[in-house]
Amino acid sequence: MTTIDAVSRGLMLDSLKEYAKRRIPFDCIRELDRENEFPAEILKEMYDPGVLGVHLLLIPREHGGLGGGTVDIYRVCEALARIDLGIATSVFATFLGTDPLRVGGTEAQQRKWMRKIAEEKLLVAYGATEADAGSDLVNLRTRAEQVVKNGKLAGYKITGNKQWISNGGVADLYTILALAPGGPSWFLVERDATGFSANKHEDKHGIRLSNTAGLSLDDVYVPADQLIGEVEGQGLQQAQAVFGYTRLMVAAFGMGAGCEALETAVRYSQQRIQGGGPLSQKQGYTHKLIVPHAVALEASRAYIHAIALRLDGEEHGLQTEGAIGKYYATEAGNNAAEDAIQALGGYGYTRDFPVEKIKRDVKIACIYEGTNEIMEMTIYRGRWQEHLKSRGQYYIGMAAELDALHAQNANVGADSAALGLRALARILEDCRAQRLTRHQNVTFKLGELIAAAEVAANFCKTAAAKEYNEGVRMDRACCEAMSRVCARETAFDVASQGIKLVLGAGTGSAAELSQAVSLVEIEDRQRGVTEDKDLIAAKLNETFRPR
Amino acid sequence: MNIVVCIKQVPDTTQVKVDPQTGTLIRAGVPSILNPYDHFALETALALKEKTGAEVTVISMGPPQAKTVLRLALALGTDRGILLSDRAFAGSDTWATSYAIARAIKKIGKADLILCGMMAIDGDTAQTGPGIAQQLHLPQITFCEHVAVSGRKLTAKKLMDGGHEIVEAQLPALCTLVLPADYKPAFPSFPEIAAAQEKDLELWTAADVGADENLLGLKGSPTRVDRVYAPPQRARGTVHQGTAAELVEKLVCILKEENFIKC
Repeated sequence: MTTIDAVSRGLMLDSLKEYAKRRIPFDCIRELDRENEFPAEILKEMYDPGVLGVHLLLIPREHGGLGGGTVDIYRVCEALARIDLGIATSVFATFLGTDPLRVGGTEAQQRKWMRKIAEEKLLVAYGATEADAGSDLVNLRTRAEQVVKNGKLAGYKITGNKQWISNGGVADLYTILALAPGGPSWFLVERDATGFSANKHEDKHGIRLSNTAGLSLDDVYVPADQLIGEVEGQGLQQAQAVFGYTRLMVAAFGMGAGCEALETAVRYSQQRIQGGGPLSQKQGYTHKLIVPHAVALEASRAYIHAIALRLDGEEHGLQTEGAIGKYYATEAGNNAAEDAIQALGGYGYTRDFPVEKIKRDVKIACIYEGTNEIMEMTIYRGRWQEHLKSRGQYYIGMAAELDALHAQNANVGADSAALGLRALARILEDCRAQRLTRHQNVTFKLGELIAAAEVAANFCKTAAAKEYNEGVRMDRACCEAMSRVCARETAFDVASQGIKLVLGAGTGSAAELSQAVSLVEIEDRQRGVTEDKDLIAAKLNETFRPR
Repeated sequence: MNIVVCIKQVPDTTQVKVDPQTGTLIRAGVPSILNPYDHFALETALALKEKTGAEVTVISMGPPQAKTVLRLALALGTDRGILLSDRAFAGSDTWATSYAIARAIKKIGKADLILCGMMAIDGDTAQTGPGIAQQLHLPQITFCEHVAVSGRKLTAKKLMDGGHEIVEAQLPALCTLVLPADYKPAFPSFPEIAAAQEKDLELWTAADVGADENLLGLKGSPTRVDRVYAPPQRARGTVHQGTAAELVEKLVCILKEENFIKC
């Protein structure tokens, strides 16, 4: 639960943007990117409570922090991603690195280490991944052996290698996952521990301002009170417990980076005159390269905000929702950046303009914190259980809610979203009846369709809400048009791709399946989509004017 | 010493455009900011606070969302924040606004120094500060770049055409501040912002400051805005290219043709 209100949050974001404008303008970031250089001084300054103190947001108030909640932190993640995703990753690594401590640390451990991180401005790194253990941590090879002195457990000696560790070469403190006799466990390891070393900074495709390095641990001794939670074997549960939250932060990265690329393209398109007028006035340009991404990014924002509010409330875990947010928003951001290069033409392909860098950077959001294919699997697993438990009624119930919403507000496309959810329920049921989920590609594709249908349904609810969340910059008419486009196109995708999936892997009649998913009715709802896209394009041009 | 700083929330006019057809401001997506002149006035007050231990009160008149700029002021180190907000204030011009703020300053009580931005970037009138001084019958020094206080004596460095003027006054007095060259407004850190959230922000209505409603809003405003429009763009100049010698020759020809020179 956060104690920070929307006004304070807005002021924090303003301070962050102002700091970035002065200290790390684009020219500076471009140079650091070219040199593959981690801006240590900038990070220390951002952690300095006299300048920004950004890391204090993740530390509870009782331990000297500001006790930021999920909404606060995702908004900061989004703003950081707009500045530079490498810097954002470095800050996020501290967030992530402290998570095992926050979730599983004893009261004494939290008091000691959280306060130390707050006061000493420590950069933290999260050391889980190994060469053979990425999303599949069962193959963990790093070992922690007990050291017993005078018949009493005194500490552990840790040996192993870690890979792809953000802040790996620059952190002051590491949380290291290692296999103890009682099972996988998290340990706090300080940078100067004997036997501990960091490898070279990786030469990466993007996020080059973020230090990424492997770690070597050779008989690194840590006292017993640096085993997080002081009970062995809790490591995987502690890691799992925060996936809903941490993946939502990566979702915010995808959304933030994508929005920055999109806005750059919208501003550029109003100045670039071709064929007698600005590109921003040409449907062939806007309806292909701009509007679809604006819709997907706004749908992402609505979803991330809704899940963040739930996490700040009484709900815990929300791992499937975290995976949906991460999958949808990072794909949206990656696609928006890709098309922003196209939208800027030759300029977009040069390093003088920011979009090619954003594209290189944002790709990582589809990879780290669980690849998007792992997300598809996670989403499928979570919702498949719901489908079975409810005897196929899970999405039917959700569709009924959307129908009720449509009766109150016919402007947001909730009727189309309901059709999409019913189509999804039918596709899932066909997959069950024909046992099609024995094909892995079917399960992954179902994960994708589930994410799209749920995000579209949530977008309708957000667009119909009396008040919009603080991140929304478009007006009501535009948000409603975006929601309609999203609901209509998603319903069509779910129905048509679902049919393709079932017929491709199983048996049945295309005509019967089309009827069962109401394909014609869904096609009928596509009327007016072009007009809605015209309105969205015009509103984007009005909102993001050339600077 | 008690210092009162008058501040205003304004649209970031660097991002505002006028719709040429309707003549109205296009506000879509335009963020609201603390008027930069007021920001400098606030920083001037906070610097005086540091030197003299003065208490700084910040006051703003506006809709409820204007509390954002008061929070910013509190985060930067202001002791007290007051928002004047009431439907009765809606539509006030600079004179009615000066009246309302002057009433609020009277209610605050002892105010030794009142600092205002020279103007707000949304209206560019530069009238509200002088209006407040007039309403309170105080001496005023406008266009100040720097303000110093020694005992009850105020010394201000006032910007003039082509130079500066050093002006002294006895407190209480009012100064309006211009922006120094390359001014970069201070921004608060995250902990300062969080601490400001804990400070009280007072909300005062027209009745709270004992204002006569006939002197507020449209009724109390002698000014009427006829229309707002973007000035028509001037025709582009002509660009000539060539060597220095060629250009000089060309320039002399043009000056002759236009009868600016004879030879």
